[in-house]
Amino acid sequence: MLPNKYTYNKFGTRAPNSSSSSSSSSDRLMMSKRSSSDSKSKSHNAMEMDYCNHILHSNKNKKVRPTNKRNEELGIQYIRNINNPFEGYPKLNKLHQLKRSQMVKHAVKPYGVRVPTNNIVPTLYNWIENYNLKFDVIMIGALVENQFILPILNNIPFHRLCSKPGFLFIWATTQKIQELTNLLNNDTFNKKFRRSEELIFLPIEKDSPYFPGDDGDESIPLFERQQWHCWMCITGTVRRATDNHLIHCNIDTDLQIESFSPNSTSSKRNVVPDALYRVAENFSNSNRRLHIIPSRTGYDLPIRLRLGWVIMSPDVMINNFNPQQYKEELYAKSLIQYKSTTSSSSNITIPGTVNNQNNNNIQYLVPQTDEIEDLRPKSPVIASKSG
Amino acid sequence: MQFDEANVFLPFAEFLLRIHEDLLIQPLRGDLCKTMVLFNKYLNDIDSGIQYKLEEFFQYIILFNEVSGNALRLDRSIECNKEITTILEMPRLVWINLAALSILKDRLLGNPFQGIAFKAKRVRHHKNDQDHLLDLLDKPILTRIEAEVTSSLSGSNFHCDYLTLDTLLRKPNSRSILAKEKIRLKVLEKPFYEVCNDSNHNQMLTSFCFNKKEHGNQSLTKQNFPDVSIIHQKLNQYKNLMPQDIFECSQTKTHYLPIINSHTDYYLGDCSYLDTCHKMKTCRYLHYYSLAPLSNLDIVDQQQLEKCKNHEYTLGECFTEYQRQIVPPHWINCDVRYLPFQVLGKFAAIISDPAWDIHMSLPYGTCKDDELLSLPMHELQDEGIILLWVTGRSIEIGRRALLKWGYSISDEMIWVKLNQLRRTIVTGRTGHWLNHSKEHLLVGIKGDPIWLNRKMDADVVVSSTRETSRKPDEIYDVVERMVGVHSRKLEIFGRDHNTRPGWLTIGNQLQGTNIEEDEVKSRFETYLKNHK
Repeated sequence: MLPNKYTYNKFGTRAPNSSSSSSSSSDRLMMSKRSSSDSKSKSHNAMEMDYCNHILHSNKNKKVRPTNKRNEELGIQYIRNINNPFEGYPKLNKLHQLKRSQMVKHAVKPYGVRVPTNNIVPTLYNWIENYNLKFDVIMIGALVENQFILPILNNIPFHRLCSKPGFLFIWATTQKIQELTNLLNNDTFNKKFRRSEELIFLPIEKDSPYFPGDDGDESIPLFERQQWHCWMCITGTVRRATDNHLIHCNIDTDLQIESFSPNSTSSKRNVVPDALYRVAENFSNSNRRLHIIPSRTGYDLPIRLRLGWVIMSPDVMINNFNPQQYKEELYAKSLIQYKSTTSSSSNITIPGTVNNQNNNNIQYLVPQTDEIEDLRPKSPVIASKSG
Repeated sequence: MQFDEANVFLPFAEFLLRIHEDLLIQPLRGDLCKTMVLFNKYLNDIDSGIQYKLEEFFQYIILFNEVSGNALRLDRSIECNKEITTILEMPRLVWINLAALSILKDRLLGNPFQGIAFKAKRVRHHKNDQDHLLDLLDKPILTRIEAEVTSSLSGSNFHCDYLTLDTLLRKPNSRSILAKEKIRLKVLEKPFYEVCNDSNHNQMLTSFCFNKKEHGNQSLTKQNFPDVSIIHQKLNQYKNLMPQDIFECSQTKTHYLPIINSHTDYYLGDCSYLDTCHKMKTCRYLHYYSLAPLSNLDIVDQQQLEKCKNHEYTLGECFTEYQRQIVPPHWINCDVRYLPFQVLGKFAAIISDPAWDIHMSLPYGTCKDDELLSLPMHELQDEGIILLWVTGRSIEIGRRALLKWGYSISDEMIWVKLNQLRRTIVTGRTGHWLNHSKEHLLVGIKGDPIWLNRKMDADVVVSSTRETSRKPDEIYDVVERMVGVHSRKLEIFGRDHNTRPGWLTIGNQLQGTNIEEDEVKSRFETYLKNHK
């Protein structure tokens, strides 16, 4: 039964009585109140919700008990696309699926390297000197406080371990990441990384294993701390418009929120949530990925292995890494491409053929399909930029 | 002599079987002394007429262990001859063998041996060991690590596990609990509507609110969207035609009604810009109309306002607070680079949203980094906080600027930007390498302002986006909660929409000048006179 079967006359024009009138008068009241109280409400839309205000009051009647923090709400719980970030965007959703399946198809098997903290740097030197290993994506740190990132960063031979172009992701608390600022801005840092994006990870509730504490050594912070920060740094030259075989831009956002969607692996306890790896995998199309978690991560959050990654930590669950085997597997699984030095055309060999050319010029890539190329967000053509 | 084992040992076995769990955990943690007290009480309750003293109790436990086949495990052996001086030397109960206890109980009661009946736990079947291991890892591992802590006061050690210590350390103190409670009383509750996720409701409401006959072929765009109150009048008209629950839902929750125009291609999905789309007339992506319930909140408030004033926790307030008026919004149109800051006085809090030169074509003029860094910001505060909006490249410059102006960076606030549908912004190439769905607000602190209300809010603010570069008003509330509504607050590079009661706004895009504080007014006039 559709309303347009009836005319307005049938119900009469419900002019100034009933609920509609009261609402309009209340509207007027509200208007006058607003204009008298503050000027910022001039354009304040009634649709805008004040989450801070709501949170403040919704926690009113709940007792603060340290053992059960869950009863305190957080503003981000009202965001509607946490469990399905691409809701409403079928193309983007499809793109994510395609990228994921392509990555899985060409990924090396999950590798773990269990080494004590003080042996991390010597092990890396060993790989470099004896096996000429290099990585394109290097992630450092996990969502735990008190990691020894600074000494690791200072001592890792990035200029030999990280290829060019290469990508660095460093995860730490707000405070810790600021301490690292000086280091990365330092001219003497052994590989020039440009800080390109600042990523944020937010836990969804106070009971989350990822909810950071106050960093301890200082006085009470101004705000309740809820964030994890990540620097995404780039070394070497990549151009977003032309290097689409190396990187895909604008696929993920710089904000990741802990989610409990049933089909993602992130529901499992892991010191590194799924999203952290996914951002790196979606951005860089390189197949050589290394993750270093420099310190122990506590008893409640295990370090899981991940397909396509070498994970190095004193606490990693399985110790199965063999540099020679890794190299062979890389050759077999990746699209091998020789870095073009002068001409833009590059030699491409089919996966599986081993070529003993200078290792430094070889790129191990995840091949991309036409469908991905079609769906991915692209830089605007220069001509349209002015328009 | 027939030693009556049943009478002697049965009570203890039964006692243990009854409360074994509580004995081992906090606060008893296997303390034998306290166990004895509890046991004596138990004996009293069952009228056995026996009471044990400590030494007797130790003897008893040794015997009990002999009888029960060491059902009680202690962390050190009991030495009866040695005198025990401190509680710390006392052996502790660390484990109780329940199976042995129940066997003992059966034997003492003369029951036939029945075997041990344990409730079989539901065992999940795993394909292989690896699955089993991974499954175990999914659960929190409740390992408790004992820490021996040396107290500096008594010089003795005490036991505690790290988890307990951690919880204690993270516990909010009474000051922040009370301050939060007070702020809840003082801040008026604003209406908040949840979103209805039932697509059926949305479809139905759309068909009632935007039927084809009325609008004909004219496409619906935000230029000709009807007002929410008009839609609600319409809903009231059709009230009897639609299911009761849908009508009620429309009065309590927000609905997003899909607008299907003739050019809309439903399968493309939502528009990246939704209600801020400039090309709604031709855009083939899906747009929505926001239907919020009409608010009827203003009846409440007189009562609530009264209640707000009557609170007794006044720590950190000025004692004339009850009679103070909040300064009306005031502002000065000026070029911030040339205004001498002494004119303005000192402030408890400063907000600034500089037009950073981020190498992008923006609809407003930008500021050079050097010009910003060389502002004499040190004149504006002796102690207090500063909040600086930064983006992209300017995050680093902003951090440098704060340090140069004499602040230490204490926190970083994140504004999670939401779109019309209350979702994070995931499309639209909003950033260079990744899409941007949040913005950063650096928070610097100068001096040691003990008067700040700390930890009132989280460092994440969730709020909808508005016009380009317009920041959420929630930040003002956050600052007011921190420094109080009566302290002086300044906004630099503000525009007309930034003016607010209690705040002084300066910037070159403001309409004229309106100063409410006499002192500032006279200083500003003198300054103008001297510079003409």
